[in-house]
Amino acid sequence: MKQKPKILIVDDDVDLVKVMKGTLESKPYDVIVAYNGKEGLEKAKKEKPDLIMLDIMMPVMDGFSFAEQFAKDPSIAKIPVLALTSFSDSLGQPFTFEVSEYLRKPLKPKDLIAKVEEHLKRKGL
Amino acid sequence: MSGRLEPGIRKPLKKMNNVISREQSATEHTPEERALLFRLGVYIKIRWLIVLMVVFATLFASLVFNIDFPTLPVYIICAIIASYNLIFVRQARRLEADKVGQVIERAQASANIQIVLDLLMLTALMHFAGGIENPFISFYLAHTIAASILLPQRRAYALATLVLLAITLLVLLEYYGVIPHVNLQGFVLETRYKDSSRVIGVLVALATLVYGCTYVVTAVSGELRRRQQEMVKLMDQLLDKRNKELEQASKEVVKLEEERRHFARFLGVVAHDLQSPLVATQSLISYILDGFTGTITDGQRDLLERGIRRIDGLLTLITDLLDIPRIETGQITREMREISFIEVVKRSLEGMDNLAQQKGITLKVELPENLPKINGASRRLQQVVTNLVSNAINYTNEGMVLVRVTDSDNDVRFEVIDSGIGVLPGDLPRLFNDFFRGSNAGSKGTGLGLSISKRIVEAHGGKIWVESPDPETKKGSKFAFTLPKKPAAMHQ
Repeated sequence: MKQKPKILIVDDDVDLVKVMKGTLESKPYDVIVAYNGKEGLEKAKKEKPDLIMLDIMMPVMDGFSFAEQFAKDPSIAKIPVLALTSFSDSLGQPFTFEVSEYLRKPLKPKDLIAKVEEHLKRKGL
Repeated sequence: MSGRLEPGIRKPLKKMNNVISREQSATEHTPEERALLFRLGVYIKIRWLIVLMVVFATLFASLVFNIDFPTLPVYIICAIIASYNLIFVRQARRLEADKVGQVIERAQASANIQIVLDLLMLTALMHFAGGIENPFISFYLAHTIAASILLPQRRAYALATLVLLAITLLVLLEYYGVIPHVNLQGFVLETRYKDSSRVIGVLVALATLVYGCTYVVTAVSGELRRRQQEMVKLMDQLLDKRNKELEQASKEVVKLEEERRHFARFLGVVAHDLQSPLVATQSLISYILDGFTGTITDGQRDLLERGIRRIDGLLTLITDLLDIPRIETGQITREMREISFIEVVKRSLEGMDNLAQQKGITLKVELPENLPKINGASRRLQQVVTNLVSNAINYTNEGMVLVRVTDSDNDVRFEVIDSGIGVLPGDLPRLFNDFFRGSNAGSKGTGLGLSISKRIVEAHGGKIWVESPDPETKKGSKFAFTLPKKPAAMHQ
């Protein structure tokens, strides 16, 4: 049987993670969770996920720093990243790094699944 | 929270940190030094003139007037004066190149040497040219005057005394026959240098003149020097004051910038912390709505959807409220880039078709084919366009909403014309005020959309206005704004 796609969620909001995890596991996908950027970077290197959901505003290491460090490591740099931005963050702050797509919170479960599928398909999974 | 929230912060004005100073390099001396060097230069030039005059006078006396006296010593003395003058010319040039601060001392030492040398030469000259009989004995006055210009007051008086001593010594030595007297034969009486009353008379007259000249010259040049010093002091004080003011101003700029940054960070944290729980709550509710926790009844769905809508309203209010200080602290100016306004409008209109269709009205869009790029903050302008168009659709129940962009000489104009409920005449003046909602607008919106749009447009140097009913169609309303093609200086 084909292996389930592996998705890493990097977000500090426990409730949001619970919902996203539940949503994505229902597909079914393999879901790994990290609650800050530093942890996320370590898990990304170790687990080599197929896709990363990245929150921008986080303690310890925010999404910006995560993406910067992430892009420097060739072993993981090619993994698609879906950045999650808060309601007002997306206005006025030009992001300076490349990610696959920006998704604005709140994200409905159906939309979340659709976006993840779209990006995984692009990768050929 | 990220420290990168404010990427476009201007560096504190660099120029203000460059404190003004009176540039002083090796070749640029203080006014006092310049004055002394100038006087010394004049003194040296006058010496050339005197040498020439003495040579000519001697030639004239011996050849034209046939006055008989040994001319060779006179020419030798002139040669000596000329040669040391050459040395002093070169020395003066070296002084010009000297470092600031050392010039005064060296120039004054040189002046002392020159003055004493001149006195010696003049006395020798006088001796060989007939002593007291020579009317050129009054040249001692010229020497005194020139020296008094160069010397400080006390030294000038000392020099005057020295001059008189030299003359007296010369005259007395000749009078008593200690040194031989040179007769100017054919010019004056042979015995005049032995006429005691005449000798005393000339000496007293010379003494009076020498001291008188010293007084006048030192008084005038001393006064000049004092004024110059006062001027320099005043200039220094002014410069000091200016520098202190500049330093203060640049410190304040840095402080203000720091405060602004701090405030922006604070707002970012507030926005995030207020919105995060709401966003999470919405996600949790959506999770239930989308059936992940099992089927729900229509009644439950209705209540949950109402909950989501209320949270939506609150999120919008928070965003709007936090937007106002961001705009007012000059965020927009930092976001401005060269942008295509057409692209901004197209992006804003995405999804508006659906909204119009749901309400059963047509959305018509008229965009020019070419529009020059303008300087603007695209996300902010998108916010304005979205706000105006969605308002038009929301408040129009039948007919049409027309979106039009036109190009004129100085600005780009955006218009939304609808056939909706319009604005009541009494509401028109207050429509762009914070929290104002039209009396016929129901309870939709935060009452901040238009006031934020106004802030954004004005930050671009443009104007925003409403006409209701629309003057062309005589119904509904027209909302319009302009954006200047050339960026205005600064609008914050």
